[in-house]
Amino acid sequence: MPQIITRQQLLALIDSLLEAGTKVATPVARGEKAFFQYLEKGDAPLIDPAVFPVNSTKEFFFPRHEILYTFERQGTEVLVTDARPFVAPQVVLGARPCDAAALPLMDRVFGWDFQDRFYQSRRENTTVVSLACAAPDAGCFCTSVDLSPETQAGADAELLPIDDDTFEVRVFTEKGRILFGGKTSESDKTGRTGAAPDRKFDAAQIRERLQTAFETPAFFSEAAVRCLGCGACTYVCPTCHCFDMVDEGSVDKGRKVKNWDSCQFALFTHHASGHNPRHDQGERQRQRVLHKFSIYPEKFGVLLCTGCGNCVRGCVDGLGIRPVLEEIAK
Amino acid sequence: MPFEVYTFRSSGKRLFAGKNTPHFHAVYGIIAHKQTIMQDIQTEMRNRAKELLESKQAGLVVGFTLDEYGKPTPAFITDPDDVGRLVWNDDCVRSRHNLVGCLKRDEVRKLGKPAVVVNAAGKRAFNVLIAESQREPGDVVLIDMEPEPRDARFDERYAKLAMLDTMSREERFAFWKKEFTRCFKCYACRQVCPLCYCTQCIVDKNRPQRIDTSATLKGNFAWNITRAFHLAGRCVGCGACSAACPAGIDLDLLNLSLARAGETHFDGYRAGENPDTLPIIGTFSVEDKETFIR
Repeated sequence: MPQIITRQQLLALIDSLLEAGTKVATPVARGEKAFFQYLEKGDAPLIDPAVFPVNSTKEFFFPRHEILYTFERQGTEVLVTDARPFVAPQVVLGARPCDAAALPLMDRVFGWDFQDRFYQSRRENTTVVSLACAAPDAGCFCTSVDLSPETQAGADAELLPIDDDTFEVRVFTEKGRILFGGKTSESDKTGRTGAAPDRKFDAAQIRERLQTAFETPAFFSEAAVRCLGCGACTYVCPTCHCFDMVDEGSVDKGRKVKNWDSCQFALFTHHASGHNPRHDQGERQRQRVLHKFSIYPEKFGVLLCTGCGNCVRGCVDGLGIRPVLEEIAK
Repeated sequence: MPFEVYTFRSSGKRLFAGKNTPHFHAVYGIIAHKQTIMQDIQTEMRNRAKELLESKQAGLVVGFTLDEYGKPTPAFITDPDDVGRLVWNDDCVRSRHNLVGCLKRDEVRKLGKPAVVVNAAGKRAFNVLIAESQREPGDVVLIDMEPEPRDARFDERYAKLAMLDTMSREERFAFWKKEFTRCFKCYACRQVCPLCYCTQCIVDKNRPQRIDTSATLKGNFAWNITRAFHLAGRCVGCGACSAACPAGIDLDLLNLSLARAGETHFDGYRAGENPDTLPIIGTFSVEDKETFIR
């Protein structure tokens, strides 16, 4: 029998989690936009399948800023203290299926040659509940990257809207069972998943073309002219995971921190010598496309893109990765 | 005018001033008539772009086209046969994109002498660039879509600040804390700004690292306030930074507030009103009443 939960029960569940000190992240409305964020007092969770939050859920696993260790000079000695990885349980609720699907992709990166305990600890302690989408918007392209709105990848449970105030709950893992155990009731109704985006490109063909596309062909030059050179597409992307490690503070007392970085910045590849192997925005666009559609797949066998469309929606100049991919596929 | 300005006034159609304003038509419901006017203006703009490219007066035309969502987005036209991609509609009139901001990019500079579609804010930005010796008059062909700017009164220009004015210091600080929490330092604000033209931005300098690269509250305050200070007396209030911010932070509020201070304390100074206006902060004068400057 399908299990269901009402909106009221869901909100009560969120409240009880918050009361117990569990961090809960959901989309929250801010002006005309919505953002995934940790709920604070007075925030209303926005559980609406028609909403496309600006950011992805990656920052609850791979925060934009994280302290790795602190240092302090004490006389002639320097005291170094490792930061402890995050260990408290947290819940990410209302993730888009394409947000959740990005997590197994990041798992590979952070658990490959180097085991990143900061990331892994957050992953182990987080329950991810996705929300089935209502309908694709003009930015969506999950069906072009071997996914669909039906994907369960990365989610511990999924909410599927039955009507405005009722969701079917599908549980996939033990963490999902613990979260929803005793909180749902049986019903004969089942929830819906929205239609799949119909506009499609052939990712396999793109990958093949990229093999010989290193010497910046026309489609990267066009993207170079249109691209602003900001980092918005990479920061709203659920799979972009590049970071920089920098010292902050003073010589006497400070910390080593890990901050998001973006391949779209000129500084990203700038060598100390002054040489920049990616000196033109087209080469930086190529870097991003190759990483997702050629380099990562070569290493891990899957694409590093879930077709969520965040980059298309987040780009002030309406670029994002899809127009570039479509240009390559032409 | 010291530089080349093309207007569409010759056809007797005016975009903003007088009876043919969008506002007038919205009020009186003469929508169909307005659409015809918009289409005529669009055709005229395309013809002008084609003429500029064919005669080689410009190697590139920067104007608007529509993106995936039907919203105006910059188009870069180098082929006279492509001018049909240029769009002019109500959304373009309202758009806070400042296309003059595109001209600073190396990739765009390579395409030749630009012609750019501008509104009043775009023209003011270009005037500041001339005043700050970044451009010569005639470097750029301006395709002027707002030959007679709406001349808003002082209080109208800064009406948006009323919300902040009514707050106490503590409330204002709480407001900005909440806003800057969402900043993840993508620097879209800097990238779209026509007046953020430093070849090396202070946040990209690390010897020493004056501003934390971290997108923490401290790092975000440091970045956004430094940028606002650097635009004091220079910002033309186009609002491109607010429109570009993926975090939905209305950065314009910071710049407007400094612009109001400039206008209030420096004899009605407004950045970029004309190319001869001397920048209030970047100008040295021996008559300056402050003694430290001598």
